[in-house]
Amino acid sequence: MAEVKTQEFQRASVKALADAKLQSLLGRSMGTFDGARQEAIEELTPQRWEEMREKGRAIKRHTLDNLDYYLELLYDRVTQNGGQVHFARDAQEARNIVGQIARSRGLKLAIKSKSMVSEEMSLNPYLEEMGVEPVETDLGEYIIQLAQETPFHIIAPAMHKTKEDVSQLFEEKIQRPNLKNIEEMAGAAREVLREKLVNADMGITGANFLVAETGTLVLVTNEGNGRFCTSVPRVLVSITGMEKLIPSLEDLGVFMRLLPRAATGQRITSYVTHVSGPRRSDDEDGPEEFHLVIVDNGRSRLLQDPDLRESLYCIRCGACLNICPVYHKVGGHAYGWVYPGPIGAVVSPVMVGLNKAKDLPHASSLCGACRDVCPIKINIPRMLLKLRTQLAESSDSTQRKVSIGEKLMAKGYRRLMSSPKLLSLTHRLGRLAQRPLLRKGLIRTIPFPPFSRWTRSRDLPPLASKPFRQIWAEKLGKER
Amino acid sequence: MSQSPQIKASLFATCLVDQLFPEVGESVVRVLRRQGVEVDFPPDQTCCGQPLFNSGFRKDAIHLGRRVLKSFAHSQYVVVPSGSCAAMMKVFYPELFDDDPELGPQAKALSDKVYEFSQFLVKVLDVTDVGASYQGKVTYHPACHLLRELGVSKEPEALLRGVTGLDYVELPEGATCCGFGGTFSVKYPGISEGMLNDKLDNVVKTGAQVLTACDSSCLMHIGGALTRRGIDVKAVHLAQLLTGEG
Amino acid sequence: MAELLGTSKESFIASVRQSLGRTGGEPDERYAPLQEDLSSLEERASNTLERLKKDRGRLVEELARVAELQGWKVCQAANSEATLDYIRELLQETKAKRVVRSDQEIFRQVPVDELLEGMGAQVQVMAREQSGDGEFDPASAELGITGVDYAIAETGTAVLLPRKGISRLVSLLPPVHLALVRPTEVLESLDDLYLLRRLEYHRNGGDMGSYMNFITGPSRTADIEQTLVIGAHGPRETHMVILAQE
Repeated sequence: MAEVKTQEFQRASVKALADAKLQSLLGRSMGTFDGARQEAIEELTPQRWEEMREKGRAIKRHTLDNLDYYLELLYDRVTQNGGQVHFARDAQEARNIVGQIARSRGLKLAIKSKSMVSEEMSLNPYLEEMGVEPVETDLGEYIIQLAQETPFHIIAPAMHKTKEDVSQLFEEKIQRPNLKNIEEMAGAAREVLREKLVNADMGITGANFLVAETGTLVLVTNEGNGRFCTSVPRVLVSITGMEKLIPSLEDLGVFMRLLPRAATGQRITSYVTHVSGPRRSDDEDGPEEFHLVIVDNGRSRLLQDPDLRESLYCIRCGACLNICPVYHKVGGHAYGWVYPGPIGAVVSPVMVGLNKAKDLPHASSLCGACRDVCPIKINIPRMLLKLRTQLAESSDSTQRKVSIGEKLMAKGYRRLMSSPKLLSLTHRLGRLAQRPLLRKGLIRTIPFPPFSRWTRSRDLPPLASKPFRQIWAEKLGKER
Repeated sequence: MSQSPQIKASLFATCLVDQLFPEVGESVVRVLRRQGVEVDFPPDQTCCGQPLFNSGFRKDAIHLGRRVLKSFAHSQYVVVPSGSCAAMMKVFYPELFDDDPELGPQAKALSDKVYEFSQFLVKVLDVTDVGASYQGKVTYHPACHLLRELGVSKEPEALLRGVTGLDYVELPEGATCCGFGGTFSVKYPGISEGMLNDKLDNVVKTGAQVLTACDSSCLMHIGGALTRRGIDVKAVHLAQLLTGEG
Repeated sequence: MAELLGTSKESFIASVRQSLGRTGGEPDERYAPLQEDLSSLEERASNTLERLKKDRGRLVEELARVAELQGWKVCQAANSEATLDYIRELLQETKAKRVVRSDQEIFRQVPVDELLEGMGAQVQVMAREQSGDGEFDPASAELGITGVDYAIAETGTAVLLPRKGISRLVSLLPPVHLALVRPTEVLESLDDLYLLRRLEYHRNGGDMGSYMNFITGPSRTADIEQTLVIGAHGPRETHMVILAQE
């Protein structure tokens, strides 16, 4: 499984905030994505968009609620198409399956189209170790591979790299010096990758959708690398999470309208590739073998919990990242695992273990913008609250992770707010205590946490001379 | 107005208004009374429990919620000068008490009676001109829960446009969170500050003298930074503008 | 012959079933689209074809409009001469010497080989077994010409399906792709396409061929600083000629 650094969110976010270059990049780019999304919705009309969202959500709910049935159906239909379906409980098992396919057929060069699940599995180092050369062919992924990093964003993996970074990287790693503009860089990558694309014997892809009815895998891409991966190599292996299913081919009409618009603001991407098994006897080309690897890797835990199940409706468009003010500040790497942003703050803790990711569910102001933009209307804030409750109150001690200080504060607050008398008394005591802190009627610093974390950048108003309840009792309540 | 039976509203002041901003509560009462509403203040009220609920302490939130259900059981309407506290009572109480056969229906009943202040004026009383006047340029920050949990987007603006002499100017990227988020602001002070900085930049861009909102919490957050940095913009609750203060 | 790698299907699905608390069998609620029988599919498809036929003129216009927006260079040919003129100009502009095409029925209607060879270009049908003499490596082709199976007006998309004589690479390898579209191939929406393909699948007893490719304009990337670059791994230039109605 990919290295888990979710424990370090606090530190990583502070580091990201102090990174001036990153901050300027984030400031520049995040609005562009959401602007494009909004324009695309206007073009379709907001009414139609709402209709599609409702339909998409209903389809996903039905499929996930009956996932066992649709997995069975998909298995039958892919098999009928001449493909092979494999099941992996976890990352290790998924890697082994891919490894065994490569080894037993003597495959040497694997071209990869974007797959988040392969990131979950850390597939590339594993393939390298066994002598298969994995080449990421999506430009963003390729940059990340050369830099030996992990994706920064679900659909724009190299978003955190400036063109200067890329230029330097291409000079060092692929000996293409002095590239000045972005077009030249894309051109250099195209040349280097073209040779791999036409000579590979193994294609590895993810999936955007799996149609149970017809055993069809759907890939949504813009560069054309996905088409190479599904056309040239003699063995095609597609690795995907089990939540990607939809029942009917006609359901694609809904999702093809939702995904490109939500992701990049496109009416449709340059390519949509539908794969229904290996090449048939009459076909001129295409893979001789088609393997579909369906991965659980912690998804069962999301499925099991009725309150968290809807996190599996996600179609990985990245819209929630693009709108999230927290993501805008800390970027993708701070989240510490494959899935960043609001949806990552829900799924990562459950997939890697809540005790290792206790900070993620709290890394949100619960503003709800993510839910508003989600093409499937996934209620992310509600799931974050659910995870916070598990952290605070779970009877399972491996899930419960709350500091003594926080717990005392909660209990103290509850006690205080349970008694208007105690509240009035505390108000009077507070008035006395705040006196030495007041400067021109405001509290400028409180030297101890958590208040110090407030006053580091904001003033705090003092307790009022009379609380409202007193004003009401003495005067206001008697007036008309 | 004299023909129709008098509307009775109970004020849920919120703990922040009670303890820190009582003048907001006073303004709310004045505005409502001017519209002929009979206002009462159940004295047993404290906090709706939202800070606990948002931190994951659901049981403690339920404990405080029970008190609220009891205090406001006999109210005709409950008016709350805060979008997020109103959302707690209107949206989250029904969920919180969902599996309680006794309190569940009470929470539903309360939910139907709860209105955020601006929402109450526009949706229940059907007024946008409360007869106030104010000279100055004012911008408005739509607080997240008001906007997204309660769906209140047009009401505050309509009320501001109803104030004689008030020059309303839209806040760029207004719907982006100010970074308060309750305990979020002290759990992640750096991220919160970053979001706050963006909000301040946009407020300054408007050239307004006054920033208003329907939530004292966001106003405390943004206002605390305005004074800290010596930016000459006042953070004022909508109710205060509607009584000509600010 | 399936090899068992990983977890067995039975045990994987059983564990999913357990997570859901389901006992197996049919979905809890029936899913209407999957209950539909062949005759109903056929009826819907024939209604669709009827509608398309009636609206053909409008749909061709819409296809041309949207395809242009999506980055195609579009020619609505007034007659067969105009089609050949466009191809002639395209060859001159691109200075292509090596052209690959697929082997589709449309090339009996549009005699591109004579035209292009007459202009001194080599033309080759891309197929699994390349016959020897005077042939070139398809990877070095500068222009690829295909027909389409469908074109979708809603999205400006050319849809290509596999068949004998149709390589997937003609529309992918060369830097320039020309798609020839007949008005009878134009569909209104994605829904029309998925309906027709679904019918095909069931009519064939559960097979609709190994793939279906959507091509919508040139290949593109915006992976560096969100700056759009046209021409990534696929063609950088895409042309669509919509033939005259017969």
